[in-house]
Amino acid sequence: MDLVVTYGLNFAYSTATLGLIVLGLAVVFGLLGVMNMAHGEFVMLGAYSALTVQQAGLPFLLAIPLALIVCGALGWLMEWSVIRHLYRRPFDTFLATWGIAILMRKGVEVTFGREYQSVDQSLPGTVSLLGIDYPAYRLVLMAVIVVMFAALFVWYQRSNTGARIKAMVQNPDLAAAVGINTARLSRATFVTGVAIAGLAGVLLAPLVRVEPYMGLDYLLSSFFILVVGGLGTIEGLITGSSIIGGADVIISAIFDKTAGYLGVLAISILFLWLRPDGIFSRR
Amino acid sequence: MAFSRAAKFTLAGLLIAFPWISDSFTAYQLGLYLLYGMVAQGIALCWGRAGFLPLGQALFFGIGAYLAGAALKADLGWAMLVPAFAVACLVPALLAGFIGALVFNRQTGSGPYFSLITLALSMLGFQLANSLSGITGGFNGMTGIPGLPGIDTYETLYFVIVGVLIVSTLALAHVMRAPFGQLLIAIRENEERLQFFGFRTSMLKAAAFAISGGIAGLAGALYAPHQGIVTPQAVGFVLSAELLIWTAVGGRFGLIGPVAGAVLIGFMAAGLRDSFRYWEVAVALVFILVVLKMPGGISGLFSAALSRFGGGRHDHDKRIAPAMLEGKEHRVAPDLRFDTVGVSMGPVRILNGLSFSISRSGIHCIIGPNGAGKTSALNVLTGRLPLGGGEISWRGISLGNTRPFIAARNGIGRKFQVPSIFPELSVRQNIEIALWANRIGTVEMFSMRPYGLTTQMLGELETRFPFLQQSHKAAGSLSVGQRQMLDFSMTVLAEPDLVLLDEPCAGLSTDETRQMIEAIAAIAGQTKATFIIIEHDMQVVERLSDHVLVMHQGALLANGTMTEIRANADVARVYSGGSK
Amino acid sequence: MSAAPLLSIENLTGGYGEIVIVTDMSLAVAAGEALCVTGRNGVGKSTLVRLVTGALKPASGKVIFEGEDLTFAPAHGRARQGMGYAPQEGVVFDTLSVAENLTLHHSDRSLERYRELFAMFPRLPDRLGQRAGTLSGGEKKILSFCRALAEDTRLVILDEPTEGVQPENIALMAEAINSAKAVGRGFLIVEQNLSLVEAVADHAALMDHGECIYTHSGTVNLRAELSRRLKI
Repeated sequence: MDLVVTYGLNFAYSTATLGLIVLGLAVVFGLLGVMNMAHGEFVMLGAYSALTVQQAGLPFLLAIPLALIVCGALGWLMEWSVIRHLYRRPFDTFLATWGIAILMRKGVEVTFGREYQSVDQSLPGTVSLLGIDYPAYRLVLMAVIVVMFAALFVWYQRSNTGARIKAMVQNPDLAAAVGINTARLSRATFVTGVAIAGLAGVLLAPLVRVEPYMGLDYLLSSFFILVVGGLGTIEGLITGSSIIGGADVIISAIFDKTAGYLGVLAISILFLWLRPDGIFSRR
Repeated sequence: MAFSRAAKFTLAGLLIAFPWISDSFTAYQLGLYLLYGMVAQGIALCWGRAGFLPLGQALFFGIGAYLAGAALKADLGWAMLVPAFAVACLVPALLAGFIGALVFNRQTGSGPYFSLITLALSMLGFQLANSLSGITGGFNGMTGIPGLPGIDTYETLYFVIVGVLIVSTLALAHVMRAPFGQLLIAIRENEERLQFFGFRTSMLKAAAFAISGGIAGLAGALYAPHQGIVTPQAVGFVLSAELLIWTAVGGRFGLIGPVAGAVLIGFMAAGLRDSFRYWEVAVALVFILVVLKMPGGISGLFSAALSRFGGGRHDHDKRIAPAMLEGKEHRVAPDLRFDTVGVSMGPVRILNGLSFSISRSGIHCIIGPNGAGKTSALNVLTGRLPLGGGEISWRGISLGNTRPFIAARNGIGRKFQVPSIFPELSVRQNIEIALWANRIGTVEMFSMRPYGLTTQMLGELETRFPFLQQSHKAAGSLSVGQRQMLDFSMTVLAEPDLVLLDEPCAGLSTDETRQMIEAIAAIAGQTKATFIIIEHDMQVVERLSDHVLVMHQGALLANGTMTEIRANADVARVYSGGSK
Repeated sequence: MSAAPLLSIENLTGGYGEIVIVTDMSLAVAAGEALCVTGRNGVGKSTLVRLVTGALKPASGKVIFEGEDLTFAPAHGRARQGMGYAPQEGVVFDTLSVAENLTLHHSDRSLERYRELFAMFPRLPDRLGQRAGTLSGGEKKILSFCRALAEDTRLVILDEPTEGVQPENIALMAEAINSAKAVGRGFLIVEQNLSLVEAVADHAALMDHGECIYTHSGTVNLRAELSRRLKI
């Protein structure tokens, strides 16, 4: 019984964190159509924001505004200098963001060093839940993520922004003709997406090794989730996260970490073959 | 190619003489960069030529290194070492080919899917190399790899590397010059069009990727004795990313650029890494600049400078005696049947029980109001739309849910409404690809013979459309009307038995329309092929067609001669097709 | 024509980059009236519309709307200022549902404003949940027409609204335009279908080679005069 609860909580935890990580890319790639290869690097910057705040001896929560400002400003700069010229050239965007990702990794490596670092748990200790002790920070994090997703879901249903963004991507001239300021909307969308990635980095920082190359794993798992779950829906995003997260947890538990990774890769390729538009595809 | 023959010989000579020009330690260093340069050449073949980007090329390099390292450690002697090196080259090649076939079969185009999967594989390889310590030595690597028997690692191995590099460069240069290389450019330019000429582009791309994997494996196999140690870094992601940077900065469109990039950045990194902390940041910045502003990299700048001074850019001679291809003399009667064909997109039925059959050759026109499903009918016939219901057969073969290259191989040629050509290739190269369609096999793709092909119809088309003789002109610089004519010429030069033309006169001036009509009528008369033409302009329909099919709301409304159609009350009611 | 026109186009010249397609066009649309611009394919009618709506920047001349010079205002600003537009091509957002197409630019997302139009074109409310890209060409045109007409704009610009639309629906479109005119809205309509032109136009202009070659004021003999000139 305890084992079931532990695995259940681990599964929920991994789904929730993956959902948090993929959210930023879902906005940028799913809505805007920009395959941002620097997505993981924004998560990495978020984690380094947490590290900086800790090294300065400030309270952990201050890392959130810091990450939002750093990632938002950098995202704004990136959109202004590179992305906005390339909205209709996906392959060039892909290459350019890859270059920016390399630049961000190298920049952080020069500033903070190559070695692994760690951010202290601001909520150490465990909470007793359903007969087992589970880390408190993980529980709080799950709750925060659930609330975030719920808020996002309500906003997405109620507001028109999602539809406007899709409209703009698909037919920019018509979008302008019905009164949508396309330049501003796409910049706001891009900045929001990378800021969410930064936020994810802050929240995950106490749980992971912080190092300049940490973003790559996040990029790949985000991408696999979007392959499995499809683009543009919150249901798809959550389902994708649970399939990828679940497969990873289960296979890793039975065999080892490498097998889990192999399993995730195999599932993604399988989806590419069988359901190239994701699990909820309308075809 | 940007460099003249003399420059290439000088380069090779310099490489061979390098240990005497410099010292043997620098030559040893250079050897490593040349190996990386070989891998970069493979990346250039995929990225610069075929337009798809492999992000995890170190995987193949590392596999080759581990395999060769294991063989060397087993101390087998030359007799066994040669096949072992062949394996170290073949295993990565087959793996790359398999991955390529797997992904490209489902994903047309150069989207992020392939790139990210190769990246993931490289990271997986890194993890495997770390965890399978029994085989790879784990984190510390496979150590104590002896040098090649009888070859001094610090003195003579360099010459082995230079020799292998020269041979592999010549081989790659041949592959790029051969029809295979030209088809790769065509894939980069317009993959779908190539499929409609009957080429299975996914396999061509997989083959290019396999070649690049094999070369990476070979370079890796030499890396093992060169370094004496192979660590998981050799398969890992960091090396993959650097290989990509060297390729981009050196120049991804040729074979000398990638090697130059690896060597230049390699030596500069060795000199600057310690004294200039921001060196790697600077390299990343250069990479972004190259990607955005100068896709040709350093060698692109060189060849631009060369051509400014009147040198460079000779078209390689392909002096091959023209071989006249036989036109098809005897054709069997066409037998095309649509039987209650349905196609749906979401809840909408685009085609709704479309039935007709064509059993006579000649020109058949499809008319009908916008949204009647005319183009969709051609799309489902050529595998561009999935068949939702009913049956399509062509000469007794069922074509339901076919794929474009299969339809093309069954003798169905197609021209789209918007002219669809290979803009960066010259007019002559566009025509060559059409002539190769369904005519050359795998072996000939790697021989120079297909460049000499010509047909009687080509001569005829060149007389009708004189611009086709400007063979060196880039097809992308033609006017819209000329592109329409080139596209039409390419479609008929493949000599399909069933020619599908979607609004061939769209965007043409009155004069050009007349030229096009005459060409269609003449070619149809000579080849005895069956033409199906979608057309809005009633003058064109009247002038060309023997038989008119009227479509309305996804089904056939009427068919018969133009006079019969004019008299048909149903047609008059739903469709009053005017003239331009 | 009433005192100050709703829209006046003064000596407008422009095209795509270096290529000038429209030369020296001057037109005016008054509130409550419809101006129809007609001419054969490729004479520059759509380019004119794209210059007026801001999708293209003119080389010279002015676009004045309600007394304000909008020549170089961004395209999205014009919609907010009261200039609605239904283009000739790319008429709907293919990837969005019909309902989203109709509501995304209204903050209340209400379909209430379409009640009368839905009664006229009942195919539309039947397909609200469907992706607009799956509609036929004519249905897309009707969707686009309804979207533009239901906006709260003083001027509506329609580029070939009847392309691919069945005759009975064209008559309904004319009816809808005429009732909008009755409440004081102005129309600039580029159209080749003379039946619609005859049914709604208060004035007409005929274009050829990027220039205005004939203008007709009033409805008397309108169709006859236009078709006589179009034949040549």
